[in-house]
Amino acid sequence: MAHFVQAIALGLLIGGVYALMASGLTLIFGVMRIINVAQGAFLVLVAMVTWWLWNRTGIDPIVASVVTTPMMFGFGWLSYRLLIARIRGSSPSMSVLLTFGFALVIEGVLNLTAGNKFKSAAPSYFEESFRVGAISLPKAQVFGFAAAAGVLAVLYYVLHRTWTGRAIRAATQNPSGAALVGVSAAGTGALAFAIGSATAGVGGSILSVLYPFFPASHYEWISRLLGIVVLGGLGSLPGAVTGAAILGLAETLTATYGSLGWSTLVFYLVIMAVLLVRPQGLFGARLREDAA
Amino acid sequence: MKSRTRRAHLVAAACLLVLAVYPVINPWQPYPQAVLLLGFLLAVQATSWNIISGYAGYVSLGHSMFLGLGSYTVGILAARWGVNPLWVAPLGGVTATVIAVLIGAVVLRTRGHAFVIITIAMLLAAQIIAVNARDLTRGSDGITLELPFWHRDFQNIPFYYAFLALLVLTVLFSAWIRRTKLGTGLIAIREDEGKAATIGVDTTRFKIVAYAASAFFIGVAGGVYAYYLTFINPVGSFAILGSVTIVLAALTGGRGTLYGPVVGAFLVNLVSEAATVYAGGVQSRVLLFGGALVLVVLFLPKGILPTVEAWWRRRRPAEVAYIEPLAVRERVPQPPEPGDVLLSLRGVSRRFGGLTAVDDVSLDVRQGTITALIGPNGSGKTTLFNLVTGGLPADSGEIWFDGRRVDGLRPWRRCHLGLGRTYQVTRLFKEMTVRENVVAPLADARWRTMVSDAVRGHEAERAGELLDLVGLGRFADQRAGALSYGQQKLVELAQVLMLEPRLILLDEPAGGVNPSLLGRLTDVIRELNARGVTFLVVEHNIPLVLDLCDPVAVLAGGRLIAEGPPGQVREDPAVLEAYLGDDRLPAVR
Amino acid sequence: MTAQPPRSPARRSRLTLTVAVAAALALTACGQRPSETRASEVDKPIVIGISLPLTGDFAQPGSEAKRGYEIWRDMVNAKGGVLGRQVQLKIVDDASNQDTVVADYTKLITQDKVDLLLGTFSSLLNYPASAVAEKNRMVFVEPAGGAPDMFSRGFKYLFFAQPATAPRQADVFVNYIKSLPEAERPKTAAYPSQDDPFALPVIKSMQTQLEALGVKTVYSEVYPADTTNFQSVASTLASRKPDLVAQGAVFEDGVGMVRSLKQLGFSPKMLFQTSAPSNSSQYSDGVGLANTEGVFYTVSWNEKATTPLNAEFVAAYRKAHNAAPAEDAADAFAAAQVLQAAVEAVGAIDQDKIKDWLHANTVQTLLGPLSWKENGEPKGSFLLAQWQGGKVEVVGPPELATSKTVVNPKPGWK
Repeated sequence: MAHFVQAIALGLLIGGVYALMASGLTLIFGVMRIINVAQGAFLVLVAMVTWWLWNRTGIDPIVASVVTTPMMFGFGWLSYRLLIARIRGSSPSMSVLLTFGFALVIEGVLNLTAGNKFKSAAPSYFEESFRVGAISLPKAQVFGFAAAAGVLAVLYYVLHRTWTGRAIRAATQNPSGAALVGVSAAGTGALAFAIGSATAGVGGSILSVLYPFFPASHYEWISRLLGIVVLGGLGSLPGAVTGAAILGLAETLTATYGSLGWSTLVFYLVIMAVLLVRPQGLFGARLREDAA
Repeated sequence: MKSRTRRAHLVAAACLLVLAVYPVINPWQPYPQAVLLLGFLLAVQATSWNIISGYAGYVSLGHSMFLGLGSYTVGILAARWGVNPLWVAPLGGVTATVIAVLIGAVVLRTRGHAFVIITIAMLLAAQIIAVNARDLTRGSDGITLELPFWHRDFQNIPFYYAFLALLVLTVLFSAWIRRTKLGTGLIAIREDEGKAATIGVDTTRFKIVAYAASAFFIGVAGGVYAYYLTFINPVGSFAILGSVTIVLAALTGGRGTLYGPVVGAFLVNLVSEAATVYAGGVQSRVLLFGGALVLVVLFLPKGILPTVEAWWRRRRPAEVAYIEPLAVRERVPQPPEPGDVLLSLRGVSRRFGGLTAVDDVSLDVRQGTITALIGPNGSGKTTLFNLVTGGLPADSGEIWFDGRRVDGLRPWRRCHLGLGRTYQVTRLFKEMTVRENVVAPLADARWRTMVSDAVRGHEAERAGELLDLVGLGRFADQRAGALSYGQQKLVELAQVLMLEPRLILLDEPAGGVNPSLLGRLTDVIRELNARGVTFLVVEHNIPLVLDLCDPVAVLAGGRLIAEGPPGQVREDPAVLEAYLGDDRLPAVR
Repeated sequence: MTAQPPRSPARRSRLTLTVAVAAALALTACGQRPSETRASEVDKPIVIGISLPLTGDFAQPGSEAKRGYEIWRDMVNAKGGVLGRQVQLKIVDDASNQDTVVADYTKLITQDKVDLLLGTFSSLLNYPASAVAEKNRMVFVEPAGGAPDMFSRGFKYLFFAQPATAPRQADVFVNYIKSLPEAERPKTAAYPSQDDPFALPVIKSMQTQLEALGVKTVYSEVYPADTTNFQSVASTLASRKPDLVAQGAVFEDGVGMVRSLKQLGFSPKMLFQTSAPSNSSQYSDGVGLANTEGVFYTVSWNEKATTPLNAEFVAAYRKAHNAAPAEDAADAFAAAQVLQAAVEAVGAIDQDKIKDWLHANTVQTLLGPLSWKENGEPKGSFLLAQWQGGKVEVVGPPELATSKTVVNPKPGWK
């Protein structure tokens, strides 16, 4: 029983971190109908920067997100202005290809600068755990979860309580209507892309502690994150959180009671099963353009 | 256009000839043969990818999965059965096709973005299965295959010809698809999927077929490739970089064109080999491919071949023919007597959030009539059309057509029953020619219709006749987007006629059309009506309605407020109020 | 629809044809059949063709192998070369890609007409590369690629220049366990392993042999290469408390497992990992130097060994690269030593004679003596190494040990 509770606890902690990582992806999709395939590369990029900071200056990796978050905000804003904005209006598949190419470029640059070695930041508390009865909660995971939950709460607040957030949500739901009331599509686009990238600032910092990574790790991450948002429903923030929790639990439970080898596959099977019943995902509304 | 296509074929044939004789001229050089045969392999993959992602516009980022599936099928079967891998290579294609159908059946039922994501996920899932299904695949140890049986002097030559033959077959297959109604249907899906569904294209089936078709030859090639490598393992067989190369090749050459992916494949392959030989280990290959992909998307989004072609077309614009007068019967035919009820709406409603766009409407359209549906802006006329054709589902009520209840059917099924429509703002497939636009509709769900020739033969002839009917025969080879708005309306009408519909819904046929074309339009409508086609027309041009239609139904605020002969409706106080009231209120849409 | 602007169709296709034919003729460099033997020119340098993964997934071992080969070349040339001829290496990058490695070796053999070949890194690349060599009847000495299937293909020109293939790597550790008194042997053992052609066979073979010795298996699980999260495995291990944890660990998974075990506060009495602990400072940085104490692993080479040229190799490596030499570089050096010995013994560059000589003789390398079975599989055994006081010592087999003490049981985590 303790074993089971342990697995559930670990699964939920991991799920929280996944949720944060997927939130940027779903936000960007929601506003611009762009699948940012480079989000995984953003995460690895941040993880690399965090690792470097930690290695050089000893800054705690999770605290380092104070630096990496604004950095990614700027990086996202620039990426939007220099790359994504140039293909606005062309078919959505072009944006997939563009961000995919961008991801490869980031991977290649990291390859050349940081080398093809696994890295992982190990702050002092890494090997310690909180013990709750028979269950041990690794400190790094708990801190990561807390940071993720905090950022998600801020994100939720920004989207629902501020004018900027309302503008972004308006643009999500009805771009032409939003334009009528003075919300510029290009402006919110850049903003949403920057915010979406900024979530990778925290996400990547947490990643650098919890998982060993190297430049090509981004494939693995992006496929996980894409799985989460498809499962939850593209563009839905609650969907991303639910999808992330399901992935976290599926991975931990299969690893504990089944075989580690199949744990990722189980998640993909869940996605296919959900799509069979609900093609738009768990929380996804049918998009307007789905109607003829 | 035609001669240009023929020239392209000539060039392709010449290249093929050279490639076919090359090993004969230069037999003892396995290295250039190896480089070329890898080029053929990439071209097979890019050409296949083009069927789903170029023609139908559904981008797959996991297409190298099919190469791996083919390799594994052949590797496993060759070992189990003790046969040469080459003989079982076609079975690799079969596996790839079956898997494509299964995946397609789950993710291609709806429109949108899930497909691209799932293709990446499935590539990784395939890798996981290959790693874990150890009894079948030997896990990450991989499978070794026997060495080729032929003399080592000829080491790469048989592979060279095998891949070249596969390339020729793949290109012929792709060309064949493009000239069938399947091909025009796929382009229609790419251009406007919602519209495609209302001209009888069973979009789900078309997409699944395209995905399956894009898998087969890659699967076969995968089998041959496994024999060439003599070793397969999960990491090598399901590598994402393989997919990147495919996408890059097709995109560079020209997505959606026949030869573009082939040209792109050779280019990518040669550049990448040159980078290996001359640039050594200086660059990261990922950086090279990624950078190339970004640059191509930003600066050459259409690809090399279409860009060159567009440049050529600008330099030598095609002559634009003026519309020629059409011989229409002098005497206006007598409309047939109204017959049985053809279309019947019973208490149909549709809400958008708090707004009830169509409110409990019951309406009968009788066989042989030209029924008008008028009403102020925002009264729900276009929504009603969408409910009838299946673009939107009704919240409540029943829709019957020709004695069958149709409100649960997909748009193309309704279409096959004889229901056609045009749009308020024309929705032609702008990248297609006028002729292709008219050939694209499918009047029934038979597979035979789907694979019938769209360029020559019965379907193309009919399209030509219909274009002549609306007086635009001379524009058949023009791009539809180049036509004037009024001409586009006529083409859209011809498109609908291709379905041999029994009822045509016309959404503001006169809107934006100049008077001379308008005269032709009414002539055509009368002519068709005389031949037994029923019309339901939404129109704001009241004189036209009064002249053309009987009976007239009036919609206001989503409700049906009047119905009857034109004269009677014109005097109806409720109608007058609805219209005059409209003047006092701002138009809300 | 797809054509470029033409002048006239006939003229255009004629032009294309001419260009293509010209290109074809230009490629016709030489008309020698692949099976015709190359004329050995006595005064020219001996060219050895090698394709290595200098970029991509295997860039790290690939670059180390390049260093190993280059150190060997410089040493040999300084002493007058092989057969009195200078040695030249033609190294090309295959970007860790199978297609490219096949094209590379095909090009080296048939286009560049290199005199000799040396192998590449990782089984993934050595499988197809060795097939190209075999087809062309070229001796292929590979510095890596010990997956068992490599030698089930009946290749005659393939030689693996390490002391043992993966399944035999476990022997030295099992022998050590056998040498312990009954009471000190582990009673229970857990065998997590990455699904990797070098790690998994080691652990599987170890499990079979230890079970035969009466060690009870309490856990045996294979995890995929991309596993990043070891907490669930670690928590299962912690709940079953085995005396021995033997992990088939490539690198990052070995570090990840130690970290997770430490988080959960479970320290087994014995910890064996296949190759992760051999990554010297990378490993100790990953798990913390104090936590390396007592960790066992197997290795093909040791810096302190007194084998031929080992000291010179270590010195040259340190001088050239200012770092501790890596096992991968030593393995490459050994592969080159093997080839050199055979060529010098045969006295000519004759692939068939070299092959026959290698099948019949033992070569002294810096990894120790190497000899081969008919299928190219080596007959030797690996070294058992252990982290002691922050350094690596060889503790088995006894005759090659650099330290007499063995840390057993392992102290708890720090």
